[in-house]
Amino acid sequence: MMIDPVCGMEVDERSPYKTMYKGKIYYFCSSNCLKEFQKKPEEYLRGGPKGMPHG
Amino acid sequence: MDKEEELKIEGMHCATCVLTVSKSLKSVNGVKEAEVNLATGSAKVILNGDVRLKELVKAVRKAGYDVATQRFIVKLNVNPEEIPKIVKKLENVRGVIDVQSNPGLGTVMIEYNPISTTPQEILKEAEIKGEILSKQHTEKDIIYKDLYDLLRRLLIGVVFTTLSYLFPTFSIIFSLPVQFYSGLRFHKGAYRALRNKTTNMDVLVSLSSNLLWFSSLFLLGKQTFFSDASLLITFILVGKTLEAYIKAKMSSDIRIEPYRATLKDGRIVSSNELKIGDIIIVRAGEKIPADGIVENGEGEVNESILTGEQKPVLKKKGDSVLAGGILVNGYLEIYVTRSWDRSYIMQVTEAVRGAYNTRVSIQNLVDKVSSIFVPVVISIGIATFLIWRFIMGFNTINALLFTVSVLAIACPCALGLATPMAILTSVHRALKRGIIIRDGSILEEIRNIDIAILDKTGTITKGEYSISEKIEFIENALQLASVAESRSLHPVAKALQKLGGKGEVEYFEEFPGRGVYAKVNGNDVIVGNRDFVKNNCDWDAKEDEGDILICINGKPGGVVSLKDEVKEEARKVIDYLRRKGIEVIIATGDNSKSVDQIGRELNVKVYKGMSPEDKAELIRSLKEKGHKVLFVGDGINDGLAIKEADIGIAISTGTDLAKSAGKVIISSLMDILVLFEEARLTVRKIKENLTWAFGYNSVLIPIAGGILYPHIVIPPEYAALAMGFSSVIVSLWSLIPF
Repeated sequence: MMIDPVCGMEVDERSPYKTMYKGKIYYFCSSNCLKEFQKKPEEYLRGGPKGMPHG
Repeated sequence: MDKEEELKIEGMHCATCVLTVSKSLKSVNGVKEAEVNLATGSAKVILNGDVRLKELVKAVRKAGYDVATQRFIVKLNVNPEEIPKIVKKLENVRGVIDVQSNPGLGTVMIEYNPISTTPQEILKEAEIKGEILSKQHTEKDIIYKDLYDLLRRLLIGVVFTTLSYLFPTFSIIFSLPVQFYSGLRFHKGAYRALRNKTTNMDVLVSLSSNLLWFSSLFLLGKQTFFSDASLLITFILVGKTLEAYIKAKMSSDIRIEPYRATLKDGRIVSSNELKIGDIIIVRAGEKIPADGIVENGEGEVNESILTGEQKPVLKKKGDSVLAGGILVNGYLEIYVTRSWDRSYIMQVTEAVRGAYNTRVSIQNLVDKVSSIFVPVVISIGIATFLIWRFIMGFNTINALLFTVSVLAIACPCALGLATPMAILTSVHRALKRGIIIRDGSILEEIRNIDIAILDKTGTITKGEYSISEKIEFIENALQLASVAESRSLHPVAKALQKLGGKGEVEYFEEFPGRGVYAKVNGNDVIVGNRDFVKNNCDWDAKEDEGDILICINGKPGGVVSLKDEVKEEARKVIDYLRRKGIEVIIATGDNSKSVDQIGRELNVKVYKGMSPEDKAELIRSLKEKGHKVLFVGDGINDGLAIKEADIGIAISTGTDLAKSAGKVIISSLMDILVLFEEARLTVRKIKENLTWAFGYNSVLIPIAGGILYPHIVIPPEYAALAMGFSSVIVSLWSLIPF
């Protein structure tokens, strides 16, 4: 199991919401978390998960 | 939440009826909008969630008209004490009008709206199990019921009117069935209207025929007009029957009856009994009875009923087929993938039914005129009598004959039919060419469009990329990229695959819309758009550095520029729109250099790198500036923009219409030309029909009133014939495609 870097939830590697950043693949629980990560990846990678984004 | 309900209204004859029904529906609390259509005899009502359908039906019936409903009885497998709970449940199901129970027998009778639901759906939605006892009626019964009723009355009219002319001595006897059976529907309609303090065409017919008949009774032994009264009713019935026939014919053209299907085991069933997963056999010459996939066999299928394209299409194992197509030659075994109710052809039927109920703005003028039409005609009738009797000095009988002619010749029916008939025929004609118009009002609105926004990929370009430029920074980078993309189905991947390369993909991951990552021959290969690659590679790529970047083991590997070819038909459509004074814009999600090149090639403004939200936002801002915007795009990806535009057109790529937001669904860009042409024709037809309807009355009413006496006189029975034919002419004129 992987950890969604935005909300901190456990996600399966089969999740369709994924992206690659600095050569590493990240998985997300939803399109909201994926979009949020794409906007500011460094913030989540440095500061850790901040909970489910709104919207 | 708003709900939409369609009702089939019975007993409407004229434009005044439309107003009355519409008023009565709107008087129900919670009804937001009610559009009543004379040509189809239906009403589309938008209501908020709390309104019961029963209230609408009650309102229509109170106004003197009826709603076509159906009933079925269910034998429930429950204890009697549970029935009240079930009744409550059933009452809340969509389309249910009334529920009456008989706990003693364990049955409930459900009255429902056959247009919006079926007994099976009701039972399913209410989650109850039971056996349906009564024989179901089909929609055909409703449509043809009115026609058969008219035919019966007309037949009686023809027989007895002929007899009354052949044997004038007995004319009073022979006129009885005509006056009181054939003419009953007019007398009833008039009574209903007057009771509701309104007037309609029935009032004119009933008043004129009764004036003739009862004055004859009064004059018995002297001059009588029994035969004339009969002929008046018969002639009006001729017109009404013809009109009903045209309407029934039009409706049956879009109504699809279930087909006959042969299951693989030889059993023959109706296509609405087929289940997903059934295997059916179709032989040459037979209709395909269900949507599905060819499991076995091969053959050419004519899908013109669905696409408008006459050329048969070859279907073989794995190809999808749609219900309604005809297998021209060959043999197919089809795996059913969709139930009859959800089949493409049924979705089209549903969509088109919606368009038939459209109201266009010109109709408001017609409604205003219609509401005062009958009282004005009656006033003219009275004035005619007074002038001939007291100013011109004619006797009462002759003065009365002029009045009766005035009443009989004035018919607001043609006014009421003018607009809906024109729209109905255009929507119908477009359908035959594979264009689905869901909202008929676009035929009027399309004239005001001044900006057309077209999606690029798949809409104006072929969506088949080719490589226009390639640079390699690391040896074999292009080949590695080609191997990495071999697992992707994206159109860009297909172009890269052509670069050729050998190797084994040890790991593969695709990031839709961005790129791919693969491990090829031990190398980390990332191929994708600029942002995606820059985020994952030691590379500060510049804007003009190609469309697709290739990163090998974290280092810049190479760049590729792409080219997408413009469809020939796109050039024609863009030229056509420009000639009409419409500004053309391309809005695309693609951010590559090829977009600019296409913009230059077609000489149109281009917005690139647009997300679906951006496209919708662009349309919103143009609309705010006062522009009327048309958007053409892919049915599913561009849903937001299609919805936002004044006229949203979806190019259908799939077969699930329900998912498409477009008011119009086309299968090829060239259909836009047909749409504009059809719109021009519709507006012209509406105007011509209205000119005919208004002109007819303004010319014939004074003549019927005796203005050309003694040179031209129109007797009451011929006035009636002219009345009947005014509607027929409007209906027929709408059908003529020029």
